[in-house]
Amino acid sequence: MSPTVQTALLISGIGMIGIFIFMALFYLLILALDKLLPHKEEAKADEK
Amino acid sequence: MGLEQLLPAIADMTWQDLIMIGVGILLIYLAIAKEYEPTLLLPMGFGAILVNIPWSSALTQIDPATGEAVQGILNIFFDAGIVTEVFPLLIFIAIGAMIDFGPLFRNPSLLLFGAAAQFGIFITMIFATSLGYDLREAASIGIIGAADGPTSIVVASRFAPNLLGPISVAAYSYMALVPIIQPLVIRLLTSRKERLIRMSTTGHNNKVISKKALIVFPIVVTIVAGIIAPSSLSLIGFLMFGNLVRECGVLNKLSLSAQNELASLVTLLLGITIASTMTAERFIRLDTLIIIGLGLFAFIFDTFGGVIFAKFLNLFRKEGNKINPMIGACGISAFPMSARVIHQMGQKEDPYNYLLMPAISANVGGQIGSVVAGGIILTLIPLFA
Repeated sequence: MSPTVQTALLISGIGMIGIFIFMALFYLLILALDKLLPHKEEAKADEK
Repeated sequence: MGLEQLLPAIADMTWQDLIMIGVGILLIYLAIAKEYEPTLLLPMGFGAILVNIPWSSALTQIDPATGEAVQGILNIFFDAGIVTEVFPLLIFIAIGAMIDFGPLFRNPSLLLFGAAAQFGIFITMIFATSLGYDLREAASIGIIGAADGPTSIVVASRFAPNLLGPISVAAYSYMALVPIIQPLVIRLLTSRKERLIRMSTTGHNNKVISKKALIVFPIVVTIVAGIIAPSSLSLIGFLMFGNLVRECGVLNKLSLSAQNELASLVTLLLGITIASTMTAERFIRLDTLIIIGLGLFAFIFDTFGGVIFAKFLNLFRKEGNKINPMIGACGISAFPMSARVIHQMGQKEDPYNYLLMPAISANVGGQIGSVVAGGIILTLIPLFA
């Protein structure tokens, strides 16, 4: 296996893990925003 | 006075030029008759005709009388809009203004399919290096699998401007072929029982999302992405800027302008400018055929990645809470085409199975995923190449 292919494999591994980390962060961000900034009507309903 | 002086274009016309004019006519035909990405393929097709007529003033030519270069308008557009990345980045503002992140807030876990379905990019990159392309070229070819034209253009213009023409043609052509490519791959990878899985989305579909959350989301995503990978900021930042303009509620006129006038104008210029790279000497090469083949490979493995990831997740989910693996295929960026295709496939199997909402959520995830993938490639390649 040529060094370029090996480097491509390494980049691909880091790249796929990187994308999953990014998306997982965005997922957590959405969950946090949903909790911290709920829709007003929902918030009012909760208060009642 | 001979023919060469009277009609130099005819005298200098080669068979390669004629083939490229034929390619241009074919792209125009596909755009009009088949409606394959007409906004891009029509300008690209017309541009291919413009640049393959010998001595075309649309391209920079050396004046035989003075020996000086006379700038062609397409070269001026290319230098100003593609080399500087201005055109694709302006398109990102327009796309950002068009994206509604609401469906993602309703089914946030489906965001992960936007990651899994980028698999095609990397497997294609590895395959391209095994065929002898260097890392920069291989990454530019692999990014066709982002199923995201502007991202492909940004990456290719930075890493392999010599391959920009075939990469753009492949990226936009395969996006148009999603309704053909995805069902074939999905049928190969899934059983009928899996395709019949119904997804419980009761409650999610009607959930109202807070305006504040939709405003804060693009700002925080930009900050997070910028801190982790500053090189990705031009891509993600412009996308999120467009989205903030959409969601803020006080710039409706600008939001509509971005979605309509800006998108239309830049798309028009983008297509015809990319065509300036579609000259016979650059395009009629074995490389072009290989790149178009690799583009198809990338699209197939994007779908593969998304579907297999869904099947993997199903191993850990209880009966009744399983994901229809077809939803995984929506993790590509071709929005809303992929979601629509999957919904229709689901309805063909079972007319009462409504997969549209989860499909749209995963598809919006794919729009973010493709830009993140582009940003990661822009960050990683210079570190290794």
